[in-house]
Amino acid sequence: MKNIAIAIFVALIIITLGLYLISFQVRETESCLVTTFGKATVEDQITAPGWYFKWPFPIQQVHRFDSRMRTYEVESEETTTAGGDPIIVSTYVVWKINKPLEFFNATKTVRRAQSEILHSRIRNTQNNVIGRHYFSEFVNSDPSKIAFESIQNEMLETLRQDIADAKVGIEITALGIKQLKVSEEVSKEVFERMRAERNRRAEVITSQGKGESIKIETDAKSKADELITAAEARATAIRGKGDAEAAKHYKKLEADPELAMLLRDLEALIKSMGEGTTIVIPTDMRPFNLLKGLPELKPAEPNEP
Amino acid sequence: MKEEKEDNKDLQVTPAREPAGEELDAAGKSLSEALRISFIILKVIMIVLVIAFLASGFKTVGSNERALVLRFGKIRGVGEKRILSPGLHWIFPYPIDEIVKIPVETQVNLPIDSFWYFQTEQEILSGQTRPVRPDQPLRPLRDGYCITRGERQDQAAGDFAGSDYSIVHSKWQLTYQIDDPEEFFINTYIEDVKPGDIYFNVITESVEPLLKNVFEDAVVTALVNYTIDEAISSQDRIPKHIKRLVQEKLDKIKSGIRVVSVQLTSSDYPRQVKDAFEASTRASQQRDREITKARTFAANTLNEAAGPVAEQLYLALHDESVSEQAKEMLWSQLAGTAREKIADARTYRTEVVERARANADYLLSILPEYKQRPELVMQKIYLDAIEQILDNADEKFVVQATEGSKGTEIRVLVNRDPKLKKKKSTEQTEEN
Repeated sequence: MKNIAIAIFVALIIITLGLYLISFQVRETESCLVTTFGKATVEDQITAPGWYFKWPFPIQQVHRFDSRMRTYEVESEETTTAGGDPIIVSTYVVWKINKPLEFFNATKTVRRAQSEILHSRIRNTQNNVIGRHYFSEFVNSDPSKIAFESIQNEMLETLRQDIADAKVGIEITALGIKQLKVSEEVSKEVFERMRAERNRRAEVITSQGKGESIKIETDAKSKADELITAAEARATAIRGKGDAEAAKHYKKLEADPELAMLLRDLEALIKSMGEGTTIVIPTDMRPFNLLKGLPELKPAEPNEP
Repeated sequence: MKEEKEDNKDLQVTPAREPAGEELDAAGKSLSEALRISFIILKVIMIVLVIAFLASGFKTVGSNERALVLRFGKIRGVGEKRILSPGLHWIFPYPIDEIVKIPVETQVNLPIDSFWYFQTEQEILSGQTRPVRPDQPLRPLRDGYCITRGERQDQAAGDFAGSDYSIVHSKWQLTYQIDDPEEFFINTYIEDVKPGDIYFNVITESVEPLLKNVFEDAVVTALVNYTIDEAISSQDRIPKHIKRLVQEKLDKIKSGIRVVSVQLTSSDYPRQVKDAFEASTRASQQRDREITKARTFAANTLNEAAGPVAEQLYLALHDESVSEQAKEMLWSQLAGTAREKIADARTYRTEVVERARANADYLLSILPEYKQRPELVMQKIYLDAIEQILDNADEKFVVQATEGSKGTEIRVLVNRDPKLKKKKSTEQTEEN
């Protein structure tokens, strides 16, 4: 019993060790190439993850490649647009190993792939594609004329084609321009222009402000005048109505027009001789004649019995 | 590795057991005794090892993580079951299964300063900006910036259209988190975790170059579509645009990363042109002030003229569709100078009517008496009037009129304005 258990245990261990020699795992993040005495064909590429068998070491050997995406960027570089404008760009790519055999034959290591294969190809593509476009396609005051994104796509397609033709087992998944700059000299000119543009705008703004405020003020004044005129018109109408209403009462005066006129005259006289008047009156005038002496008075006889 | 070492020991011991059964002498006995004991110890060790081996399959997944199980290198399970949620899980021990934990819940902030002008350590620490000469250029390899498009101009055409771009500095912050653990694990490059490294930090550092590149690309791509004023005023639209671009690209390369937010933390005009930009800002403020002043003046003027309803009334007067009733409503709410004018008119109306009525009534009331005694009534009215006049008068002179060759001459020197009158400095001369 004991011996059997031990035997099974030992057997398991031996099998495990044996399997280590004749099989291997491919992880999700990898792809592998199995070489037989150093040689490999397309069928020897393994890109699907799982458990695979092979001949032990001297006969077959497994080369593993990390198939995850990596980024590689080329430092900023001055290049020229179609119109001859200097422009400084920095391009990056996202790439991965997709064909282990081609990659193995071409470079073997990631570092060499980047410095020997990608670097020069990215620069070439960058210079070629940018050289085909005018600066006004990168930035334009009319947004519909900006073709920046399509320039990047064109670069991606060109580079993809180039890399695919070279058969180096690399796939470019993305590409982009991460810096877009102008040269030192040009930046000075840009500042010059920005300043001029701002100053011009400040002037426009100032004059706008003046114009606007004058307009608001005059508008208000004319509105106010108009309203007052309208109010005056109404006031005149009201006065007219008053005069008309007063006229109705004049009818009553027809009872004795002479007396009415006299009363009216007296009223006017009182009104015109208001405060501050100096009056010089002869003593002949009543009641000042009393100052000269008492008139002769007879008791009045009753007028009518 | 530890297991293998133990296995080797086992292999060495096993062949030693067989010769022990053939010769059994005293020495052999003690040897076999020793062997037996060591064998028992070995057995115990083996059982412990087996248990330890099986127990090593228990794995915990943290609350901020999700996990994938690789069986022979391939992700185990189908659909939802591929991803293990937080908690305790048992998987087959190495080398059959392998667990990969991915921190999905944690959001990471990534500041991007590569579009800002060069600052020395000291400047960054002190927070002060060194003034620059207006003609100092930006060095493309040292100073960061973006290019923004120029203001749209109708007359701009051809080559000129591309030449009125501006330069702007900006600082950003990208917040991201891992969204799809499977895509992330398969496609995104993570460096190997070395002893002493914190797993989460290794992930963050590994994805940083990718995110930085994609993000900077998005900023450059987006900003050429905006003017400098739009970029400076930190409109929400630009971060949204950039977020969209970044997410599109991350999705396209199946990175499994989700952009949580994009923030424009800071943006500025180039220091070289700051004065001009500030002057322009001041001009706008000045304009706003002037307009506000004008508006206040306008409001006051209208208010003084016609009160709060002035504007409404003005519109109503120029609008045929406003009903007479509505206009009357407005007129009734009138205030200010206009109201005064109308009020004066009303007073006049009342006065003139009342006076006419009073006069008429007075006439009618005295008429019967007058008809009986015209002389007396007339005298009374007349003297009443004279009395009233004399009451009102400031100065009165009663003069004795005498007959002379030259008639009567009276000279009176009067002060025209009663308020300026000192004493009664009048002079009365009488001839004859």
